[in-house]
Amino acid sequence: MIMQKKIYYIALALVLSACASKDSSLDIAGMFSSNGEPVDVRFKQSKAYNDSVDEIHLNVASDNYTVYVCTDSHITRKSHKNLDYFMAQYKAAESPKVAVHLGDLINAQQNFACADSILHFAGQTVADTIFVTPGNHDLYFKQWTEFRSFFKTGTYWFDTNNGDKKLDLFICLDSGDGTLGVDQMNWLRTLLADKAKEGYRRIIVFTHTHFWKLDNSQGHTSNYSMEETYELTALFAKHGVEFVWCGHQHARQSVIFKGVNYLVLDATKDEESGQSYMTVNMGESAIYHYHNYPK
Amino acid sequence: MRRIFTTLSGVLLALTIFAGNPGFGDRGYRISVMGEYSYNTTWSHHGNLDVQALLPFNPYFEMEAKIQFSTANVYTEVVQLRPKFTLPVGEMFLETDLMYRAVARNRVSDFTAGLGVGYRMDYVSVTLGLFARMMSDWGRSWYANETYVVEPFNVMYRIEAFCRPQNNPWNLSFCVSNVDDYQMERVWQPLFMANAYYDVVDHWRLNFGVQCKPTGMFHLDATFYGATFRTGFTYKF
Repeated sequence: MIMQKKIYYIALALVLSACASKDSSLDIAGMFSSNGEPVDVRFKQSKAYNDSVDEIHLNVASDNYTVYVCTDSHITRKSHKNLDYFMAQYKAAESPKVAVHLGDLINAQQNFACADSILHFAGQTVADTIFVTPGNHDLYFKQWTEFRSFFKTGTYWFDTNNGDKKLDLFICLDSGDGTLGVDQMNWLRTLLADKAKEGYRRIIVFTHTHFWKLDNSQGHTSNYSMEETYELTALFAKHGVEFVWCGHQHARQSVIFKGVNYLVLDATKDEESGQSYMTVNMGESAIYHYHNYPK
Repeated sequence: MRRIFTTLSGVLLALTIFAGNPGFGDRGYRISVMGEYSYNTTWSHHGNLDVQALLPFNPYFEMEAKIQFSTANVYTEVVQLRPKFTLPVGEMFLETDLMYRAVARNRVSDFTAGLGVGYRMDYVSVTLGLFARMMSDWGRSWYANETYVVEPFNVMYRIEAFCRPQNNPWNLSFCVSNVDDYQMERVWQPLFMANAYYDVVDHWRLNFGVQCKPTGMFHLDATFYGATFRTGFTYKF
């Protein structure tokens, strides 16, 4: 009986220490209550940064360019083969280009430095960079501070142009909490109302959390409340958003609702089935392709 | 481990002993009117007016009809059909839910249909089932191919624990579920509720309820999303 108790306590200690270890992606406390900054605080900090720097207008020097999109790389210091491949493909592409990562860049603690060494993040003001949105794994274990130290902001917009000609507007939203919160939602309402009048060719929103639960491919990943689903889908439709790009569920999905095309991407995580990234040829029409990672 | 198992078994056994008489106090027709103050980060502050009717046609079948008017410009109608089977201990029931939510503020229809199996004793009620959702755009064109979104498989669950037997003149219960009277959320979006009632006189009952809705539980960064406070009365015929 004493031996049984000892084994039980040792097993419990091992489980708890595994949950708390730096390589664990399981933040049990964060599952029930955010143990870092909630979305309203993160948005205020993002906005304060955005207000302190110039707006981002990327001159892509052509009406046609390519956007490279990936998500859920979940890298660790030991496992980042697919993200390496994605960045190599992106950097090697000759056409004008932009890259976007839809969140869950890292899997657990202390991997942002590794991610930075892969992305060669040069700031979000040059064309040859990657735009990142925070996912839940980037926020667990109070990692928002570390995310900010590399990427500065989680909510922002940028646009592309060909000289004086405006092309496309990209809006990045921080949805790591499964809600945009009050302030970010109001900011989005105002931004879309203003920008929709400026004659962009198309408006694209990208964020981590997906909108629909069409099948069981999403497993145990939660998404927005129904109230927020109604509100956001109506807002996007009202202001002519053409695409919403999301990640989080690790399985591709395409839904058109109210004229808006919701694309969910496969994961970029190593050792997971169905890994792919997406390229979108941005011309008069936006044509997207999925590309499998090499095995 | 054995001690935990023994304790849990003892609690369950005690509950079944106390649940000898299923008289759940819902043998008569009732009508309820309730007011709600509600807040969530999307719709901000709003108020709701709920009207509900319970129609227990016979000991084996009851129907509930519910309607909610919200100042958030959302209108919800619910019909529940509930065949019941009295068991030696407790009662088993089938929960058939049809809910239509007219989200006028966003020009969206949200229709859900669910079927579940429930079991209730004096102190505990548990329901488990599946539901499907169809969301449709009010402005849809019959010629477009993007008219609605169907989410065919969602799990619905409801676990409620009562402080007193369910036919007691007062009660207090605590509940976790992804569905309530006027919403059916996805499986990973739990609602935490506390409900109470007090029978003032033979025909009149006062109701109270509070609900907390977090978001991002289960694989997002969990945070507060909304809360609802409800009070009203029930007339028992």
